Amino acid sequence: MDPAEKYRERLDRLEAVINGKEPDRTPITPMMSIFHAHYAGYTSNDVIYDYAKNKEAALKVAHDFDFDSMIVLTGLEATFMSLTFLHNAPGIVPGARFMQAQFHEVLQDVYTKWPGFELRDDTQPQFIGKEIMSVDEYDLFSKDPADFLNRTALPRVCKALKEPGSPEYNAALAEYGTELAKFGAAQGDLIQSLGQAGVPTFPTAWSYSPLDVISDFLRDIKNIVLDFYRYPDKVKQATEAITPYLIESAKVTGAVPPEVQKALGTEVVECFFPLHLNEYLNPKLYNEFYWPALRKVLEEVIAMGQTPYILFEGRHDAHLETLLDLPKGKVIGVFDKTDPRKVREVLGDHVILSSGPPNSLLIGGTPQKVDDYMKDMLNDCKEGGMMIYPGVDGGISGKAKPENVQAVVEAVKKYGTY
Amino acid sequence: MTDTREDFINALVDLDEIKCIDILNQRVESKEDPFIIIEDVRKATDIVGQRFEEGRFFVSDLMMAGEILNQIMVILKPVFGESKENKGTVVIGTVEGDVHDIGKNITSALLEAEGFNVIDLGIDQPPEAFIEAIKENKPVIVALSGLLTEATESMKNTVDAIKEAGLRDQIKIIVGGGRTDEETRKYTGADEWSDDATSGVRKFKKLAGVE
Repeated sequence: MDPAEKYRERLDRLEAVINGKEPDRTPITPMMSIFHAHYAGYTSNDVIYDYAKNKEAALKVAHDFDFDSMIVLTGLEATFMSLTFLHNAPGIVPGARFMQAQFHEVLQDVYTKWPGFELRDDTQPQFIGKEIMSVDEYDLFSKDPADFLNRTALPRVCKALKEPGSPEYNAALAEYGTELAKFGAAQGDLIQSLGQAGVPTFPTAWSYSPLDVISDFLRDIKNIVLDFYRYPDKVKQATEAITPYLIESAKVTGAVPPEVQKALGTEVVECFFPLHLNEYLNPKLYNEFYWPALRKVLEEVIAMGQTPYILFEGRHDAHLETLLDLPKGKVIGVFDKTDPRKVREVLGDHVILSSGPPNSLLIGGTPQKVDDYMKDMLNDCKEGGMMIYPGVDGGISGKAKPENVQAVVEAVKKYGTY
Repeated sequence: MTDTREDFINALVDLDEIKCIDILNQRVESKEDPFIIIEDVRKATDIVGQRFEEGRFFVSDLMMAGEILNQIMVILKPVFGESKENKGTVVIGTVEGDVHDIGKNITSALLEAEGFNVIDLGIDQPPEAFIEAIKENKPVIVALSGLLTEATESMKNTVDAIKEAGLRDQIKIIVGGGRTDEETRKYTGADEWSDDATSGVRKFKKLAGVE
């Protein structure tokens, strides 16, 4: 089969599941940040700092593993940046959505740590977060989030931008723009090359859970958890104030020109939501502080015709039923530590299910163990259509054994057909 | 049990920070035996743990409980002076290449409340740091924490290095973090694993033989 035929076959498979139909077999849709580097004999530094090596490694994986789509993500969470620039420079929102090492180098943000800078070589880059906004500043933020993000938060987040108007500040912003352009070009090239190799990528819009913005980028998880008990109203006001930005972000980034849709051969636009605080919260806190704002954003995004692609990080068991509030079959859910059988039991096919083996199995297991795991899961869950997300806890680990990842693909071919 | 003791326990279990610390300050001022106060702290901590295991409490509840426990310990430390009981020393740290510490910090707070002497090495600690700390502090348990899946490899390297240094027989090792499971324990060569702080603390007690 030539790459163009493979592309169409894979796209049909993915679209079938998204449209609520059973495909010929379960599609495999992995995400990875450094697995491809190690597979191609590179270090994480190599693919992080060299876009050409990143592409070469990604294409090697695409060639050797029969994946139906593939996200290569060497960046870290940076929705703070995309929201800061949302109103006045919407064009850079997709590029700014993730912090790249190159951006970190010029901006010197305090959120992220990278091999080659703060971390040892060949490690995984890490988002750490920091308390940027004090408790006293909740009101100032809620009054005008964009103003607060730009004038107050940005100089604290980026050491290179601590003094607006200074030579260092001006230089850093100019260089950030240059690096954004380079990254955008490299990313476009990567997606196009994957497409030419027969691996489709859906256009992706970017949004976020409103409370996670406050938690991840302004107050830090450690503090927001205490804020729920100490200053509940302030947290709610801030969450409501930022909610329209997340709807706007999806709208701006999900507007795919018709000619691009034609070239890609699909009208599907996914909208990416990684959930972070969900696992931390008891149902009372979740239903009071987290879900109402997220639900609003999801409903708007669905109304725009986009397909929310939600990473339910950690254990989402206690909150599964809230998903019944959403229209049926309109969101894809990757469930990390929640047993996919439990998702089926509570939600049936209300949510498009994505699951897969955990990284502990891909790192420490054997192909036979992976095969057993996949057989059981597919038998129990594949009915009605599902997707496979190998290394369901955060994407395929850089330490995963290639033979175990290959065993996922082989198992899907054996047990994932309809 | 007196009303004050019950109120104190309930305030901690209900995560009522202000009330709990208020009562504690009153108890300290009235020169109550700190061992009785710590007994109540442990009772409350047990209930918090129970609620977590029953699925009534979540991580945010544990974080708030940990915050209150830290405040309690700061107040009680000078009251105890040198007389504080010691169920054994625990060396705990986030392994090399990983800088996450929320789970580790909750565990440390719970262990301190349980009467363990906790040596917290912090984040991103190489095997040598653990070995150094074992030689210096003679712990009964060494706890390796990590959230990244990559941490599994670092945990294994740390256990291997402890073996090579000839120290493995003197200690028990527990690996912990949101991504750890039995597979991780086997792969790293640890004695126990835990993916939550409260069942983790039970395993510490078992390993230390103080349950």
